[in-house]
Amino acid sequence: VLLLDLFVNGLIIGSYYALMAVGLTLIFGVLRLVNFAHGEFYMVGAYAFTLAAVKLGTGPWLAIPFALAAGAALGWFTERALMRPLYSGYSSWGMMRDEYAVVVTFAFSLLLVNLVDKGIGPYPTRGPPLVNMPRLPVGPVMLSGQKIVATAMGVAMIAGLGLFLRYSLWGREIRAVAQNRFGASLAGIDTARVSSLVFAVSGALAALSGALLAPIINASPDVGAFPAIKSYVIVVLGGMGSVAGSIVASLALGVLESFGAVYISYDYRDTFGLVILILVLLFRPQGLFGEKGRVVG
Amino acid sequence: MSNNVLRLKPIVLAVAATLSMVASAAEPIKIGISIAQSPPGSVVQGVQVKDGVEIAKDFVNKQGGVLGRPIQLVYEDSQGVPEKGRAATEKLITLDKVVAVTGGHQSSVCLAEMEVAKRYEIPYVNTNCWADSIREKSYKQVFNPGNYNSRVAAAMAETLSQLGVKRVVAFAENTDYGIGQAKAVAEALKKKGTSIDYKYEVLDRAGKDFTPAVLPLRANPPDAVLTMMLPPAAYIAMNQLYEQGVAPSSKTWLYDGGGIADYPDFWQNVKEAGKYMIEFALYHPQMTIPPLGKQVAEEYQKRTKNEPNRLIFQAADSLFVLVDAIKQAKSTKSDAMIKALETSKFDFTRGPFQFSTQPGISYHQWVDIPYVNYQITEVGQPVSKTVLLQGPGQPVSTAKLVKPPK
Repeated sequence: VLLLDLFVNGLIIGSYYALMAVGLTLIFGVLRLVNFAHGEFYMVGAYAFTLAAVKLGTGPWLAIPFALAAGAALGWFTERALMRPLYSGYSSWGMMRDEYAVVVTFAFSLLLVNLVDKGIGPYPTRGPPLVNMPRLPVGPVMLSGQKIVATAMGVAMIAGLGLFLRYSLWGREIRAVAQNRFGASLAGIDTARVSSLVFAVSGALAALSGALLAPIINASPDVGAFPAIKSYVIVVLGGMGSVAGSIVASLALGVLESFGAVYISYDYRDTFGLVILILVLLFRPQGLFGEKGRVVG
Repeated sequence: MSNNVLRLKPIVLAVAATLSMVASAAEPIKIGISIAQSPPGSVVQGVQVKDGVEIAKDFVNKQGGVLGRPIQLVYEDSQGVPEKGRAATEKLITLDKVVAVTGGHQSSVCLAEMEVAKRYEIPYVNTNCWADSIREKSYKQVFNPGNYNSRVAAAMAETLSQLGVKRVVAFAENTDYGIGQAKAVAEALKKKGTSIDYKYEVLDRAGKDFTPAVLPLRANPPDAVLTMMLPPAAYIAMNQLYEQGVAPSSKTWLYDGGGIADYPDFWQNVKEAGKYMIEFALYHPQMTIPPLGKQVAEEYQKRTKNEPNRLIFQAADSLFVLVDAIKQAKSTKSDAMIKALETSKFDFTRGPFQFSTQPGISYHQWVDIPYVNYQITEVGQPVSKTVLLQGPGQPVSTAKLVKPPK
């Protein structure tokens, strides 16, 4: 029973990681930038969900779209206000592109944490569950209604994203820009608009993750740090820019942490992913599903 | 012309002297408060410490201050991080020129801050850091009117032995407080000579998922789970223990040694997971407290609409102790204040006490600090309605305990 418990719990936590990591990997795939404020998109989603459900009285189900909208708006704003100068005609900005992105997203992350800390308050806040079944035995495994619903919604969202990327016009545009930004622009794709779209989708996914986990992991101003760190590890493990790689790496990390915490030591739970990360960087630097190199132009 | 100037000279000098005296008399005495005002520190505690010292400051200043001067509190944010606390204390002492520092409420931070206080020989009153190692360092500048781990450990060992449990697992946060308390309980159980099989698991205080630590307990449930953690990690661990049906359950008691049930955000965050929990605490509304304690409690309720808790009293006492030391010493000089702190008898919000000078864990400590044990029997229950299992100085009564149905 313990083995099954650990495996199921690992898959569940892995699916939460995936929801976060996929957004981050999309941004990297399209813009070749690492967004250090990604954890704060999660945090904003958790707060938007909790505040809408509790303070505005929308109830938990109606609060989900509210969180999605807040995350999408924040992502869109981040791209328009902070990222756009990198690729919209300011040639000198391109020279310090990576440094700029790191500094500006890191600063934005600190700003968001402190704004929420001072504006809403430092106390942790637990969101209302979507399904009020704190204990739900599924065979020999004990889960909660919220965990099951959150996992199901997370999986559905990732599947929906896969379909969107594969079959929709916007999805094709995103893939085209990810493959070759310059080539896509020559084909008439508005790459700036695609960048905004990617940030909005990434923000919405992270916010959804925050909303679904708010009844399990209480929202607090610094709550985004934990999923963000995991996401960075996952994105590199899976192969930077690879959505499928991120999903596989998320599930693998969830299961690895779950078993390692019990059979090695709970103390080292967060180091398992980092050890694997070092090994991957040493022996397969492109990650599990990443490309060895890219030829552009 | 020169005669006029000469005639005016004594008047000018007198006016200047008076102005200087007025300025000196009105010059506030600065006391440094280092608390967690932002994450990852326990901001919940920081807010309560601030509420407590603010009430005490207002009480003192309303009565004319001390030595004819008002008290001014200078705040710094330690973020619950030792190095930030260290820098905060350094700044308070060297830049703000405070005469003493207080407010500390997380052991790892206190341990860092007290090194700075020692270096500058400034009195440091520890408001709520429980690690025994703070006392064991025997720094003459450090005074402890708050609780300490060995005291909690002895109380918990006594309760566990009364409960008749055989196997106990503790969840301790990875801080000086958490690990210190987990070890102190092991020591206390050994000292008591019980045959309880006790082990503890160290959990990351910044962790968000403790399920892997909980699942093995579901497979093999102990008789009691002890928590030695602060929010928000404590709330998450409690919820996950409850979700897995581990504790509180018909088989397993949940016993908190961190005194978290009286935090204003407790019920918002735990709900069903808090029902049936046994709580070690330093304040219960059924305790008898001195008139000053009642006044502080009323003022706190007036300001925040919350029930008062131990941190409010501990914080208020930390400031009252320092003000009293200045009054007794008739000076704000460190040596005089430290001497006054060592020799004075105090009686403020929680009863009479004096700091022990015995070396070891009793050094500069209020040794017989009163404590209680109570059980929560309903979701959302205010502390005043909980079942008191043990009053201060009384034996623990397990007959009143209620277990969850099967």
